[in-house]
Amino acid sequence: MKKIKVLHMYADMLDLYGDSGNMEVIRYRCAKRGIECEVDTYSVDSEKPDFTSYDMIYIGGGADLEQQHISADLLKCREGIRAAYEGGTFLFLICGGYQLMGKYYRDADGNDIPGLELFDYYTVAPSSRRKRCIGNIVLRTEITGVPIEVVGFENHGGQTQGIKTPLGEVLYGNGNCSKSRYEGYFEKNVIATYMHGPCLSKNPELSDYMIGYCINRGADEMQELEPLDDTLEKECRKVMLDRLLTK
Amino acid sequence: MNRLLILIGKIIVGVLRLLGRNAGNLPGIILWHLTKGRCCKMFHTDCPIIAVTGTNGKTSVTNCIAQLFEQSGKKIIINKEGNNLDTGICSLLLRHCDGSGKVDADYLILETDESHVPVVYSQLKLETLVVLNFFRDQLDRNGEMETLIQKINGFCKTFEGNLILNGDDPNTARLGRANPENKKVKYFHAKPYAFATDKIFEASEGRFCPFCGEPLEYEYYQYSHIGRFRCKKCGFGDYEPYVTAEDIDLEKPVFTADGHEYTPKLNSIYNIYNMTAVASAAKLYGIDQSVTDSVINNYTINNGRMESFMLKDRHTTLNLAKNPVGANMTLRVMNEMKGEKELLFVLNDNVADGLDVSWIWDINFSIFERVTRVVTSGTRAYDIAVRIKCSGYDPEKIVVRPDLDEAVEELARTEGRKFVIANYTAVQPTRSALKRYITKHGGEHSEEN
Repeated sequence: MKKIKVLHMYADMLDLYGDSGNMEVIRYRCAKRGIECEVDTYSVDSEKPDFTSYDMIYIGGGADLEQQHISADLLKCREGIRAAYEGGTFLFLICGGYQLMGKYYRDADGNDIPGLELFDYYTVAPSSRRKRCIGNIVLRTEITGVPIEVVGFENHGGQTQGIKTPLGEVLYGNGNCSKSRYEGYFEKNVIATYMHGPCLSKNPELSDYMIGYCINRGADEMQELEPLDDTLEKECRKVMLDRLLTK
Repeated sequence: MNRLLILIGKIIVGVLRLLGRNAGNLPGIILWHLTKGRCCKMFHTDCPIIAVTGTNGKTSVTNCIAQLFEQSGKKIIINKEGNNLDTGICSLLLRHCDGSGKVDADYLILETDESHVPVVYSQLKLETLVVLNFFRDQLDRNGEMETLIQKINGFCKTFEGNLILNGDDPNTARLGRANPENKKVKYFHAKPYAFATDKIFEASEGRFCPFCGEPLEYEYYQYSHIGRFRCKKCGFGDYEPYVTAEDIDLEKPVFTADGHEYTPKLNSIYNIYNMTAVASAAKLYGIDQSVTDSVINNYTINNGRMESFMLKDRHTTLNLAKNPVGANMTLRVMNEMKGEKELLFVLNDNVADGLDVSWIWDINFSIFERVTRVVTSGTRAYDIAVRIKCSGYDPEKIVVRPDLDEAVEELARTEGRKFVIANYTAVQPTRSALKRYITKHGGEHSEEN
């Protein structure tokens, strides 16, 4: 039986807008295919795990306060996470998790929270806390090789800049900055996004991209994932696409 | 003839009471037939009548206005929500009139269905009409909005009483121009709250000026099409507000209306508008400020909390779940119930619900026990279906029916115990759909909550 190992970091603190649901979706889609999916959790002051032993590291989003709380601890994990990323571990990052992998996060008062500097983007929060990007969001992404439209819910003050390889093009909503053209950050083993919802609930292709990556990582022979019945998920997304894109 | 009709009506009410049934609508329906549709005409109401209408908030505002008078020591008669059609109002008056049809009260406060305003008040003399808003509810089957507005507009053309209108809803504000002779038109208005936007969030009615067809210009939108609007061509929207709500802080919650600060219990912008309508009525009738404070600051909703319905012979419990905590509690109650049961979950994503529906992922559905089928409905029917599926529930047993009436039909199709969970803005439409089912197929709804 194939198996993937996931490390869910700060699940108790970074869980906005159903972010933990992403793990439920990954587990569900693995179980349906007979893939064992083990999800370990890590939080502030836990014993440092061997990050490189995981196929995926997942970090969700949180309010500013929680983010400040975990940032010092996260910095202590920097080398471990870097080693895992360089070794091909998949990084799945939502909102705060996304921001903290960049150079820094400058909060509304102008204080810098240092990031892990894995990537060279950076995030600046507007001085007015009321200025937030909130609402449904639609992207067109081609990470699976064919253009697909994905739907999520964004709620962030931070404006993320310096992205060369975004996850997708914004068709509705804001994206990395207010009214920006692109959203998220993408590498073959990184999906970083502002999309909550949870993000994977309506976008089975993103889940399967990651699961496919994880089971094929280091394998000599590429294995196709067994297709699942995604009627409900696709109908769910269609309702939103019809509502948001046809004005 | 009048006396005979009233006698008949009173006998029906009495018989129903003897049978232990409450006389909600049935006497009115019988008299409606006997009077060829003019069932309110036989009553003499010397006291002022205040009617409240609109898509959302009728019950809240009616109850609060009634409270204003009741706490001022007046004798009032009010209809219970649900009996807001001509037949329901007729039944109500039958219970409160003497043999000649004379109704004894200081004020009649009547929640009135939008489509029944012209019907009822062509028969009873109306003193004040409060109009809250007009929305196209995707789950509502009232039909074309414009037709509805036209009907009420037709009534307003000859209406000479007080007209209290939501000045931030072009659909209701336009009624202020129906009768140019009427000087008793008053608008309530709210300044932007923290989540007001420059752009409209949801597709909706009322984007164009109803008088000249120009696109309406908005200074801000509070929710849906409610906001500060103006037509730059004809000046529609230029009015002097009668009562203005401002300094709205929903976190506390606190707001100021007509310069006086209120601390309501409910923290939605909907409630602020409702309470501003209440404050307008209080101002119009010179209600003592301490009474208005008491009413506005204490008003809360208790509908949809473990409310019982019989859909034919299927015992059904409706519960409101605004958040995962409430939903988990309901699921626990449902699980603890012996035997098999079915669940209808109605999920909406209107502004008052919080726009996003991801909170459903914090509901623990894996505890389901003896739940043989799930029906989902609402504007986000598929989201809740996906959620329940991913918790491990057999997708073959999930039926998605976004239309509420179809969902209730589907739920009641099979025998056995039923549970209904609806989120904030879904509760009232769900109650209405359950009642429509009962009207159509039989059953019972207990008025006591």
